[in-house]
Amino acid sequence: MSTENAGLTKRSKGPGFWSLVILGGFVVVAIFLIYPLFDIFRYSFLDKTTLKFSFSNWKAFLSKIYYLRAFWHSMYIAIMTTVLSAVFGIPLAFFTTRFRIRGTNLLNTLAVLALLSPTFIGAYSWITMLGRNGFLRVMFQAIGINLPDIYGPLGIILADSLQYYPFISLMTAGALMTIDRSLEEASENLGARSVRTFFSVTLPMVLPSVTGGALIVFMMSLSNFGTPMIIGGNYLVLPTLAYNLFTSEISEMPGMASTVSIVLILCASVVIVMQQWLSSRRKYASMLVNRPIVKQLKGLKSLLAHAFCYFIVFMSTMPLAVIVYYSFRKTSGPVFKPGFSLESYRQIFFDIPKTVANSFIYSIVAVILIASIGTLLGFVIARRRNAAVRLLDPLLMIPYIVPGTVLGIGFIVAFNRPPIIIAGTAWIIILTYFIRRLPYSVRSAASILKQIDPALEEAGINLGSPPGRTFRTVTLPLMQGGIISGAIMSWVTSMNELSASILLYVGGTMTLPIKIYLSVVDGYFGTASAMSTILFVVTGIAMFIVNKYFNRGSETFIGA
Amino acid sequence: MASIQIVGLEKHFGEVKALSNINLEIEKGEFFTLLGPSGCGKTTLLRTIAGFYHQDKGDIYIEGELINKVPAYQRNTGMVFQNYAVFPHMSVFDNVAYGLRVRKFTKEEILRKVSAALKSVHLEGYEQRTPDKLSGGQQQRVGLARAMAIQPRVLLFDEPLSNLDAKLRIEMREEIRAVQKSLGITSIYVTHDQEEALVISDRIAVMNQGVIQQIGAPWEIYSNPQNTFVAYFVGKINMLKMKLEPGTEDGMRRATLGTLSLLVPAEGTESRSEIIAAFRPEDVLEAARSREVNIMVGTLKTVSFMGSVARFELLAEGQEIVIDRHRPREADMPQVDSNVSFAVHADSILLFDPETGHRIGQGAK
Repeated sequence: MSTENAGLTKRSKGPGFWSLVILGGFVVVAIFLIYPLFDIFRYSFLDKTTLKFSFSNWKAFLSKIYYLRAFWHSMYIAIMTTVLSAVFGIPLAFFTTRFRIRGTNLLNTLAVLALLSPTFIGAYSWITMLGRNGFLRVMFQAIGINLPDIYGPLGIILADSLQYYPFISLMTAGALMTIDRSLEEASENLGARSVRTFFSVTLPMVLPSVTGGALIVFMMSLSNFGTPMIIGGNYLVLPTLAYNLFTSEISEMPGMASTVSIVLILCASVVIVMQQWLSSRRKYASMLVNRPIVKQLKGLKSLLAHAFCYFIVFMSTMPLAVIVYYSFRKTSGPVFKPGFSLESYRQIFFDIPKTVANSFIYSIVAVILIASIGTLLGFVIARRRNAAVRLLDPLLMIPYIVPGTVLGIGFIVAFNRPPIIIAGTAWIIILTYFIRRLPYSVRSAASILKQIDPALEEAGINLGSPPGRTFRTVTLPLMQGGIISGAIMSWVTSMNELSASILLYVGGTMTLPIKIYLSVVDGYFGTASAMSTILFVVTGIAMFIVNKYFNRGSETFIGA
Repeated sequence: MASIQIVGLEKHFGEVKALSNINLEIEKGEFFTLLGPSGCGKTTLLRTIAGFYHQDKGDIYIEGELINKVPAYQRNTGMVFQNYAVFPHMSVFDNVAYGLRVRKFTKEEILRKVSAALKSVHLEGYEQRTPDKLSGGQQQRVGLARAMAIQPRVLLFDEPLSNLDAKLRIEMREEIRAVQKSLGITSIYVTHDQEEALVISDRIAVMNQGVIQQIGAPWEIYSNPQNTFVAYFVGKINMLKMKLEPGTEDGMRRATLGTLSLLVPAEGTESRSEIIAAFRPEDVLEAARSREVNIMVGTLKTVSFMGSVARFELLAEGQEIVIDRHRPREADMPQVDSNVSFAVHADSILLFDPETGHRIGQGAK
């Protein structure tokens, strides 16, 4: 070897960089997923009093109407929410992609903003509108109309479906936009009318996307904790049942809460298996030679299409607008007074600056972990497919099927006793954010990598750059945009996280969503609204940055 | 000492044997081509030399050093990729400087070496361009400059021209050849294009199904193929499976296929009753103008006029036979479905064993 190439002569020793990453992945999965989830699993088979192995919890779950009812409630809510989301989402997608609807971009942005804001805030806003003393109820009563009670299943389904329908509308719209126009033209050329073309060609082509979106909605609704907690009243679903059981069992063994948690994981697993099966079954690759035509509707048809689209988006954004409005109302404690003021905001920044700071610090630390570890693991999954990675890949996806409430319970039972005691610290909340978002980050990094030619990395290696350096100088700069926009999305979801952190916080580790939730429960709507508004603004800014600087479409926001 | 030496190399992908018992010696400064159809193992062999795959068995030496356990980034080979693999986030200069920076050269040295490399591929003045502003051909020049700049022990070309259009391909292959000769860097070149291989190489290894079929200079490969695969893959050739009549006359034997009859050299056919007789289209003569004994007749099916040559496809005894008419004139072209007679000189006929496909008789090794 020539002396000029002296920089190459040193040989590396010990395991390679990527082997350490794979090992690290297994360590993370083992400590923060397998260990807490196994603990829950174990508790569900322990008798509360004797602490011996027993089926008593499972017998109780399967025999007592109290538990079973929550299961059926969950199914009912999830199914109804999915159906309603499809009813809102599919026509919206079709209208906005096939007809000229003014302000389509604005509609999509508003829908996503509503989607990303904390679920329970929407629910609480519906209470201020349609609750016992809600202003809409009062208005309608004045003209002699009695609106149905918002508390209970109706409110949950309304709030959930108006929040989650963008999963269906955006995914369907994405598919509708990539159908080759020639296919529909071929159908019409063969003599089919446009309605027949829609049902025999267009709809079957987008069906995989529709069902994909529908399953996400089902999953989100099934594991949603905030909405049923705020608006459900006595109507218990599995996550709220688990939460109630856990908080009441806190001094004893969390046997029943664990059992309910396992049931939730099982339900979610069934949904995921269905989703995998459906998405593997049919996919229509499109070469996209001809983009579909956007038709200009005229007269009444145009008016009706616009009315439908705007009505749906208006209904889903109205709760946010109401909250923003209330945040500027004058208050005295829990009571609203006439006129406007910044009193609620003053209270937040002077009374609970620590809560605001916590939210920002925890979510930022979590995002650094999520982005860095998620990117490294995404790389091994996309580029180093050996036996170990094939085992690691599905393990990293476990958080998909673990609702926040369940993960919170798992973290508490596992991490408040040796060998790892982090209960009550900031780290337990940060790690919850990290674990919940990790699969999204890994997936997105892996999919970005699939668009980067492996030959580029080989070129780096071939030119003498070791794998770690090649990753840093070649792969990482090419992934940058995707990683940052993914990180911003992770940050937003972490800022808005409630269902796990509500179980894990102590006085000093309170975050904004927790404080909002507690303020709502205590009736302090003014400060709750001001805090919610801060979260909306943060979410909106994040969306704007992703859109503007990273040129990512709405698909990024739904984490698909 | 050979620049590259490969001994008993084997590589499996699952059940598939991608390389079997590969033995090669490549001289310093030699331009060596691996030629074969897709899936023949040529790219696998190249990537194993680069260190992107690891062999199951066998040894690879570069300049006498056993490199089996040397990771890819320490092998000091310069690879030129099929799809260029020019770093899209770096300027032309940074692309070419990449390997030099890894090697910790000083700023001045990097500047000098990058300029020299870009000069030799005629890309002076392109230093600050980004790859998205370059054509495919220019990107591949950057890829070549980047690989040579590190002064590798061997340049590895992985079908570098297959993504370029026909005209550019011809231009670039001449340039690659010229640059390689002027620098004297040992090169291994992978291609499935036999014409490219013949033009560019000092020696060629023809591969099929993971096995090297024949190694030789382009002339040798083309005019003296050692088996039916090589004969068939490099250039166009007619192959007729014929019966041999007993007895020889003047060292020749008669081979027949229906009404077709040829006198072929008897050497090597002694104990045989069947043979594959092969001849190239361009070796066929016009029957009327030759005093050849080997005259055959076929029915003309198609005529492809290609300028300097008109290629006839004939049908004779159910066999398709392709013959070339050199310097064709329109007035001389026969009608389709008419009978055309043609002649083949016995020296132009290559004989192969019908069972094994191996060459027999004169020229067999």
